[in-house]
Amino acid sequence: MARAEPGGDEALLRAVATGDAGALTRLYERHGDALFGYLYQLAGDRMTAEEILQDTMLAVWRSAAAFEGRSKATTWLFGVARRQAHNRLRGRPDPRTTGIPLPDRPDQGAGPDELAIAAAGGTPVAAAIDRLPDHHRDVIALVFVAGLPLADVAEMLAIPIGTVKSRLHHARAAVAAALTAQEVPE
Amino acid sequence: MNELLPAYAAGSLCGADRERVRAHLAGCARCRADLAAWRAIADAAAPGDAAPDAAWMVRTVLTRSAIEGPADPPGDGPWARRLRYAAALVMAEARLIRLAVPVASALVMALGVAVVLVQAAAVARSAADAGVVLALVAPIVAAAGVAGTYRSRRDPATELVAATPTAGPLLLLVRLALVFGYDLVLAVTASAVLTVTAAGGAASLHTLIAAWLGPMALLSSVSLLAAVRFGTDVALGAAIGLWAVRVLAGGVLARDDWPARFIVDAWSTNAAVLAMSVVFGIAAVVMAGRIGPYDGEPRGGRRATHQT
Repeated sequence: MARAEPGGDEALLRAVATGDAGALTRLYERHGDALFGYLYQLAGDRMTAEEILQDTMLAVWRSAAAFEGRSKATTWLFGVARRQAHNRLRGRPDPRTTGIPLPDRPDQGAGPDELAIAAAGGTPVAAAIDRLPDHHRDVIALVFVAGLPLADVAEMLAIPIGTVKSRLHHARAAVAAALTAQEVPE
Repeated sequence: MNELLPAYAAGSLCGADRERVRAHLAGCARCRADLAAWRAIADAAAPGDAAPDAAWMVRTVLTRSAIEGPADPPGDGPWARRLRYAAALVMAEARLIRLAVPVASALVMALGVAVVLVQAAAVARSAADAGVVLALVAPIVAAAGVAGTYRSRRDPATELVAATPTAGPLLLLVRLALVFGYDLVLAVTASAVLTVTAAGGAASLHTLIAAWLGPMALLSSVSLLAAVRFGTDVALGAAIGLWAVRVLAGGVLARDDWPARFIVDAWSTNAAVLAMSVVFGIAAVVMAGRIGPYDGEPRGGRRATHQT
């Protein structure tokens, strides 16, 4: 899958490694939104997400030479972002996990229909996602916000692809259960 | 098919799979509902705001990169970094030491060696005398050098040093290691020269070193303590005064008097003297940390601002 053609992400990263600021700009233009969305989801507020995004781009600027092309450039980028987020968010008290207890059993509450209807209102689902445990939110953000293929997510998190899928389903079930508990109107 | 729906909703499915899912969805209401649920999550997870502007972001990153200094080369352990830091510190401190100090130390030491050599050539002197001369010269050379290590406010580098992120006591330690280490090397070299030329008679290198090591450590540590507490000039005076008493006790005063004996014993190489030197040295460094580079001037001396 690794693209080697000029203008590809890998070529851009190599250019960044040689100190080409224009390449950093192009890389950011290409992936900035996805990176920001991912970090926003992890951090929970815009200010912190922007700070981590800065940290991330700084780390990319400084250590692009460490990219060896063994993984895809996007996987590497999001890996850097994830590490920076962990560095900054570590030890921070998490106000989100104080809400509703999450069920262990999958998919016994609301069905997909209810979820979809609730989405029309927007915020209850987002609120439910916010209350997910970190490792579930991480997967949701990598798959839906960053738009990474499931195989890349598995590689990045160093877990089997089956675990990525099961986390996705658990997360969805938890969101559905949270919505039921809040009695979102159908 | 159910398995592919999250990736399909996220838009990360590639060509063939995407078409397959699309074809299936047309005829499967359950999967369409399932997809709607994933899309609901995808939409809710998407950020409401756009990412910061690219030009601004890159400018900020480049500025931070310049301000926060160069990154460490990849694959560098913390030990390599610390070693490099220590080496840089030693180099920087070495540049701050005035050339006159090591040159003068070397000249005085060379003079001592020359005196012994000349005397040995003139008269057949005994082994003890080489040791006596070295024991007289080495400590005062080291103490004078050490007295100058603690910077007073008048030192032009003080302001620069105060602005470094490195702790004052650490800088003092590095400087001490440089000056005292240099004097140690000088004294050992002098001893070696005397041993090799046999001017010291039958005295071994070991004996010669033992003659000056203890006094050198003690006088230097006292000198440092005085320098930190009262300033360089006082330290230098104290070192010279103390040493003068020792020289008098060894030569001019009656050797059998108990005060003279006590003084000579106190200035010899043994465990107690070396331990005492270490204690003085640690006390001086700790005190330097307490006082800080700005208030390291003599107590009761001139202050930058006078209270009216």
